[in-house]
Amino acid sequence: MSGIWSGLAVLSQFVLYTGVTFSAGLVLIRAVFGADVAPVVRRMGRQAAVFALAALGAAASGFLLSGAQLTGDASGMTDPEILALLWQTPAGEALVLRLTGLALILAGLFPGPLRHPLAVAGAGLALWSFTQVGHVSALESALLRLVLFLHLAGVAFWVGVLLPLCDLTRDAGTLNRAAQLGHRFGQVATVTVPLLLLAGLVMAWQLTGSIQALILTGYGQILLAKAGFVTLVLALAALNKLRFVPALHRQDPAAAAGFLRSLKTETCVLLLVFAATALLTGTVALPE
Amino acid sequence: MKLFAGVALLSVLATGALAHSKLAGSIPSDGTVIAALPGEMTLNFNKKIRLTLVKITRGDAPGIKANLTGHKGFGTHFAVPLTGSEGGVYRVEWRGLGVDGHAMQGDFSFTVE
Repeated sequence: MSGIWSGLAVLSQFVLYTGVTFSAGLVLIRAVFGADVAPVVRRMGRQAAVFALAALGAAASGFLLSGAQLTGDASGMTDPEILALLWQTPAGEALVLRLTGLALILAGLFPGPLRHPLAVAGAGLALWSFTQVGHVSALESALLRLVLFLHLAGVAFWVGVLLPLCDLTRDAGTLNRAAQLGHRFGQVATVTVPLLLLAGLVMAWQLTGSIQALILTGYGQILLAKAGFVTLVLALAALNKLRFVPALHRQDPAAAAGFLRSLKTETCVLLLVFAATALLTGTVALPE
Repeated sequence: MKLFAGVALLSVLATGALAHSKLAGSIPSDGTVIAALPGEMTLNFNKKIRLTLVKITRGDAPGIKANLTGHKGFGTHFAVPLTGSEGGVYRVEWRGLGVDGHAMQGDFSFTVE
């Protein structure tokens, strides 16, 4: 029965990854491709708010669930000594950064002269919070933390384009914008995606240390499953860039439906990547 | 929604088999058979940990939480008092917090003849 707390902690971690990357990603995409996403920018704001609120809930509940994991029952969620103990560790620092970052993302949704810088700073803080706790932070390497941050920023940027692309593609009046956004994102992604993958490989090597550990340990096996999902996402992204976006530019009538299907599949597979990451960070020990 | 439900189910199922375990060793050690219950049990960890729970269960009897008031700090070596003299299979469940903020847990068993 006590394993339920670990299970709930992994679930809250999954919601946290999803909420932070989508909300931060939507903010980054609005900042970089503001003109292209203009027809759906208000909708993007609402989406960012929903994801940021979900992440806020997941961050708080994840902290309390860590308390339950420490005592093996619900008492740990309200035990002042246990929560104070957690607060003094990097888990407390990560929570503060996360809550501040997500609050800034939400603040950036309201009108004001500093709304965009606030939201981008919030996205950065929320993403940076993941470098404070977990397996990478345990290695105590500032360079590796920076690599993790760049990896997460790349993931958020990728994830953040999916919903506006879907919304622009659904409306026949904004198909040109979808094609334009897809094209421009594809240009940026030719630089960011290889860096994102390289950062992932560097961290995987640092954390597992050998091919044997990759194959024989629980950590390595989940990491391999994650790499499989990432490969699938890459294939879908390549399909979008090489087939659907050029077809949208040519105003091919069948392109929109195919592009939408591909984007939805890509989103689902990315959620599986987050699920694998939540299992990696929440339940399995690093190879010795 | 179905994907979220699937992930929720996977999370709960997977953790039973994949819990963190950083216990480097214990006395009595996992799987050993000993003649009598010692006055204390030692737990050794690879890295510093703050123990938050040690629960000892003999057979089907309700588990007893060990007194950890003497272990309020982070460390790698812990001596936990044991009471009783009955024979049987003892299961020890431990939980603790790593200095990196990670909650950790594990268990092991030994038999008293």
